Formats: sequence, C-alpha cells, structure tokens
Amino acid sequence: MKSIRRFIWLALLPVCLTLYGQKLTLPVHPNSVRFAAFGDMGNGKTAQYEVASRMNAIRKEFPFDFVITLGDNIYGGNTASDFRKKFELPYKLLLDAGVKFYASLGNHDAATQKTYKPFNMGGQQYYTFRKGNVQFFALDSNYMSPQQIAWLTKELENSNADWKIPYFHHPLYSSAKFHGPSVELREVLEPLFIEYGVQVVFAGHEHVYERTKPQHGIHYFVEGAAGELRKGNLKKTEVTAVGYDQDQSFLLVEISGNDLDFQAISRRGVTIDHGVISRISGQVP
Amino acid sequence: MRNIFCVLVLALAISCPGCTSLDGQSGPATVKKVTIQDFGERVTAYVRLRKSAEDSQAALKSSKDSAEIEAHKIELASMIISARSSARQGDIFTPKISAEFRDIIRKTVQSPDAQAVRRTVQDKDPEKIVTLRVNGVYPEDNPLQTTSPTLLGRLPELPADLGYRFIGRTLVLLDNKSRLIVDFLPDVLP
Repeated sequence: MKSIRRFIWLALLPVCLTLYGQKLTLPVHPNSVRFAAFGDMGNGKTAQYEVASRMNAIRKEFPFDFVITLGDNIYGGNTASDFRKKFELPYKLLLDAGVKFYASLGNHDAATQKTYKPFNMGGQQYYTFRKGNVQFFALDSNYMSPQQIAWLTKELENSNADWKIPYFHHPLYSSAKFHGPSVELREVLEPLFIEYGVQVVFAGHEHVYERTKPQHGIHYFVEGAAGELRKGNLKKTEVTAVGYDQDQSFLLVEISGNDLDFQAISRRGVTIDHGVISRISGQVP
Repeated sequence: MRNIFCVLVLALAISCPGCTSLDGQSGPATVKKVTIQDFGERVTAYVRLRKSAEDSQAALKSSKDSAEIEAHKIELASMIISARSSARQGDIFTPKISAEFRDIIRKTVQSPDAQAVRRTVQDKDPEKIVTLRVNGVYPEDNPLQTTSPTLLGRLPELPADLGYRFIGRTLVLLDNKSRLIVDFLPDVLP
C-alpha cells in the first residue's frame, strides 16, 4: 500500500511541477513591449517543434508581438526545404498569428538569410528597429568589422530610447563549457554598452540558458537552447545568476516603462527563471 | 663630376630599402601602401565583375520565397564562375600581397597580449573538411569561423558582401552573396 502511494506521488510530482512551473509571472500590462527571445533553434528536430508549440500555447496568456532570434536560425543548409522544415513549419502558428521575427545571424547561418522577408532584416547583416520606448540592435557577432562597430557607435549615440537592447549570437559572458565567453568581442562591445547605457543584452551560441549577475551594470542573457541542447554543459561560475541545461527553453520579455520583466520557460513548460530588471536601479529584486 | 655625384645620391635614395623616399614616406611604408592599394584594386575588379553578373539577373532585394533566394544565389555563382573561369589561387593574394597579409596576421595573432584574439581564432564548431579551390562553393552546412574583430581592424577593409574567413589555417576571401571562394591564402595561421 505504501509503495503504491509512493508510486502515485512520484507519478504526480512531474505533473505538479509542470503545472506550478507553467504559471505566468509576467504582468501583461496594456501597451507594454512584449517579445520572445531565443536562438540556436533551426534544426528541424522534434524538440524545436515542441518548444514552438509551447510558445504558441503560452501566447494565449502572454500575447507577444514579435520574436528576436539570437542566431543559428537555420542549421545545415539554406534550401527551400530547410527553411520549411526548420522555420516555416515549426513557427507556422506564430507566423499565421502575425508574430514578426527579427533575426540576427549565427555562425551556422548563410548571409543570404538577410534577404528572407520573414526575418525582417531589410537586406542588412546588422540593423536596428524600435518598439515603443525600446530600441533593438541586431548585430552580426560573427563578423564584427570596423564598419559595423562604427555603425553601432553612431546608432547608440543617436538613440533616445529608454531601453537600448543589443542582441547577437556570441555571448560576451557564458559559463557553458563548449565555447565559453567571447572575450575579444567583449573587449570591443562592452565599453560601448557601458558608455551608452545598455542594461540588457541577449545572445545565443551556447545551447543552454543562462542569466548573468550584472556585469558593469549590464544583465547578459544566453538563450541558445530553443532547438539544440547541450545537456549538462553548464558549469556555473561566479558570473552566473541562474543557469539551466536540462531541457530546451525560450525566453519571454515584457517591457513597460522602467521595468523589464522576463520569464525563461522550458520545453515542458517549467519556469526556469523569472524576475524584473529596473532601468533605474539596474537590480533584479 | 658634381652632377654624377648628385645622380648617384638620388639613385641610392630611390633604391635603398628602408630609406626615405622623395615624397617623404619611408620605403617599407610606401611598399606596403602600394601593395594594399594593389589588393584593393584586385578586389574592386572582382566586385565589378560580380556587379555586372548581378545586373544581368532579375533584381532580388528580398523575398519570402526561400527557393527564389537560393535559385538567385546559385545563378549568380554560376555566372561569376563562367566570367572568371581562368581565375587561380594567387590572383588576388599575389606573392607581395600574401607576404603583407601574413605579416599582419602573424603580428596580430602572435602578439603576447593577443590571448583573446587567439581564443577567437581557435574557437569553432565541428566542421567538415573542405577542399579549397577558387570558384568553389563553401558548403552552407559548414559553420563559419568567427573572424577576429582585432584582425578585421588591421586587414584592408573589404566592400560589402565580401569577407575574410579562416578555414583551418587558411585565410579565405569569401563572397557572401554567392558563397564562392574568391581566393585563399594557405597556412597563414600559426
């Protein structure tokens, strides 16, 4: 009898955890800027479809308007069949619902992706766009040329947005073992981010989820596990605030006034991280 | 006699490597400038050739049809290949240009304070071994190595849609529009 009870309890535990984890922590304020952020998704495998399906389900509660991709959008080629299997089909429901994708390129992506209309890159390898009080800067971290650095400097300098959010493929900080942080890129970009008041940065490349403790006042998110996954690859370090490498995941973000709320959710619907970053204090309470 | 002496001094000033030339620039600096200029002209000639191939295609700024993008790229590549069918390795990276590039890359990568640069150059995803040849297509299922930002700041600037990429120890001049290998410089990394 005792063992049956234990069996039932163990069987129910994951369900309870899932139900608990599925709870939306984002406030869903009217007129807020709402988006999803994820990378390293385009492999066309079952897990990518499951993550997409989870996003679609949660969109009923959290109607996000757009997605920023953190690179490695399409792995293994750029034929029509690749695009269909690795982008158009998994995200069909989101695309049909009018969710716009703003892509950045990873090291597995062909430069010709910039001309693919649903990626909204406007034919540019790096570009900027604005939503409400937020300006986004999609960078090509695989080829950080002096021209791109000059462009970014000028755009950051000219921006009067409350929130300036750069996103790109290679993480400036990462505690994952496979690649680790892109130190040279950090030496180039971080001084600009500090100078122009950037507070949040999104990257992919490492197939895990990680949020850093603020580094020089900047919160760095790594979300490169929306299709690919390197289970057990995360070795938390002193920069890690929260990390997760046990399942595929994606990130939801809401910006309203001076607050940026975030919630990282696994493929199975478990909340793996959540919080709010204040533009004024820079702290996650 | 005095005239002959003047001519000799002048000839020495012009020919002596490392000596100051008539326009006030040092010898090696002038050679470097001319070499980089030569590289720029060769690259410009390639871009002109590509432009003329593009002009004969139906224009494609963007498309929601990935098949159309792919077909456009393949058509462009095939036109470039026929337009420069006699192109060989070294047409752009001539011996002089190669020596200049090797010098820049060696100094950048081997400098004692260039740990971060070496890390960028060494960090890569697993890739297939590719036989490099001019006018060959760099496979799209192979990841692209990140090019060091420091190095990009030291190598001559390239026009849009051309890039420097390392494939193994080789520096490749890659056409991003057609994915064609324009030229390459082997064994350039230590």
